[in-house]
Amino acid sequence: MNGMTPPEDSSQPRLATGCRWGAENKASNEERMILFPEGAIKLQGTGRQVLERCDGQRTFGQIITELQAQFSDADPAKIRADISQFLEQLRRKRIVDY
Amino acid sequence: MIIPNPLALIAEITHRCPLHCVYCSNPLEMAAVSSELSTEEWIDVFQQCGKLGMLHAHFTGGEPLARPDLTELIAGACAAGLYTNLITSGIGLAEARLQALVDAGLDHIQLSFQDSREEAANWIAGAKAHAHKIELSRIIRGHKLAFTVNLVIHRQNIDHLAEMIAFIEQLSPERMEIAHTQYYGWALKNRAALLPTRAQLDTAVEAVAAAEKRLAGRIRVDFVVPDYYARFPKACMGGWGRRLMLINPTGKVLPCHAAEVIPGLSFENVRDWSLEFIWQQSSSFQRFRGEEWMPEPCRSCDQRAQDFGGCRCQALLLTGNPEATDPACSLAPAHHIVEAALAEANSSTEISQPVAATSFVQLQKRAGELWSYRTNPE
Repeated sequence: MNGMTPPEDSSQPRLATGCRWGAENKASNEERMILFPEGAIKLQGTGRQVLERCDGQRTFGQIITELQAQFSDADPAKIRADISQFLEQLRRKRIVDY
Repeated sequence: MIIPNPLALIAEITHRCPLHCVYCSNPLEMAAVSSELSTEEWIDVFQQCGKLGMLHAHFTGGEPLARPDLTELIAGACAAGLYTNLITSGIGLAEARLQALVDAGLDHIQLSFQDSREEAANWIAGAKAHAHKIELSRIIRGHKLAFTVNLVIHRQNIDHLAEMIAFIEQLSPERMEIAHTQYYGWALKNRAALLPTRAQLDTAVEAVAAAEKRLAGRIRVDFVVPDYYARFPKACMGGWGRRLMLINPTGKVLPCHAAEVIPGLSFENVRDWSLEFIWQQSSSFQRFRGEEWMPEPCRSCDQRAQDFGGCRCQALLLTGNPEATDPACSLAPAHHIVEAALAEANSSTEISQPVAATSFVQLQKRAGELWSYRTNPE
C-alpha cells in the first residue's frame, strides 16, 4: 500500500486511537479542542461541525449531505472537496481514521 | 504584564532508570530517591495544571515505571483534565500494569527503542531490554491507546536507519519519532561517539523522506534533525518560559530539562509556591522570556520569532555564556565551536562494533574510552 486515498462515501470517519475532545470548559463556546499525543488543535466553525460528525457511525456521504444542507448557499461540490481534503490532512497527521 | 498560561507539563517523576543509555539527556547530577515528590504532592500539581488550562502531562524520567504509584499519578492527571502521555523504556511494564494504566486514563504511550538489532540495542542501552520492548509492543496494540515508537539515532546506528524504520513499521504504532541525539547531559559527555558525519545524515534524511511517503495515512513519521547540522537553531521548548513547564523529581520547576546547568538561576519548588506564581513571577522563567535578553545577531534577526535565539543551555554548555546566540546557529559568533565538533566528526567514518557483556560493570569496562554509560542516582 502506498500513499493516501481520500475518504469514500461509505467511509466512516472517526478520531484516531488516542485522539479525543478536550474538556468543554477549557474553551469558549465557539471553540473546542482536539487533543492528540504531541499537541492539540482548536476547532471552530465548519471544521468543528465536521469533526463532531466524525463519530465512526455516520458515513462520509452522510456528513457531506448534512453539511451541504446546513450551508445551502455554498457550492455543494466545493463543500465536498474541502471536507475531503480536510479529513485527508487529518488522517495524514493520524488524528482521524476512515 | 500577564503571561499566557503554559500548554503542557513535563513531569520528570524520578531519575531512577533500569537503562543506561549513552545519549541520556538527564543531568549528570541526578535527584536522589529520598528527595522525590510524594504521590499527593504530584496530584496537587496536576490539579493546579488543570486550573491553569494546561492540556498535556508528559510523564518522563528516568523511567516513570520506577515509581510504584504511577497508576495513581496517571489517574490524578486524568482527573485534572490533562491528556496523559507516558514516555517509557517499557521496563517494568507487562499486561496487568498496562491494563491498570489504561483504566486510569492513560491516553498515549511512547516506547523508546535503541536499535532494530538486539545486540546493538542492548549495547547502547547498557541493558538487556530489546526483547522485552518487542513483546510489550504487541501487548500495547491490544489496548486502546495511542502508540508512538521513539528511536534515538546517532553515529553508531544511523547507517541502518531504513532497516530500523522497517522494524518499527512491524510494531504498528500510529506514529514513529526518529530523533537525533541532542547534546546535553550524558550525550554531551559522549558526543564524539554520537555525532554523525554529513554523509550519514544525508542518507538518513533520504530514508526518512521515503518512509514518510510510503507510510502516509498509516504511520506518522516525525523527524528531529541534529541541530549541529542545521542552518538555524531549534526553537528549544518552543521558547523559554513560553509553552512548557518541567518539574523535576524533587519538585523544582524548570523551563527545560537542562536549565539547572545555567549558573546564577535559582528555581522555585512546588513545595513552596503555586505553579501559577512560579510561571508568572519566577525570575528564572523571566530571565530569557521574550526578546529583551537577546544579543545581536538575534535581536535584529528575522528568525527570532521562530527560534527564540535557540537553546540557552546549549549556549552555556558550549560557550560558557547563557546569553550567547545558540552556537548551532550558522549566524552565531560562536558557531566555530560547532563547526569544530563537526570537523572532528567528519574526519573519520569510523564506527564501533557492539559489545556484549554478562554484567553492566563488565560492559562499562569493555566500552573503554568510547562512551560513559548513564548511571543511577543514590
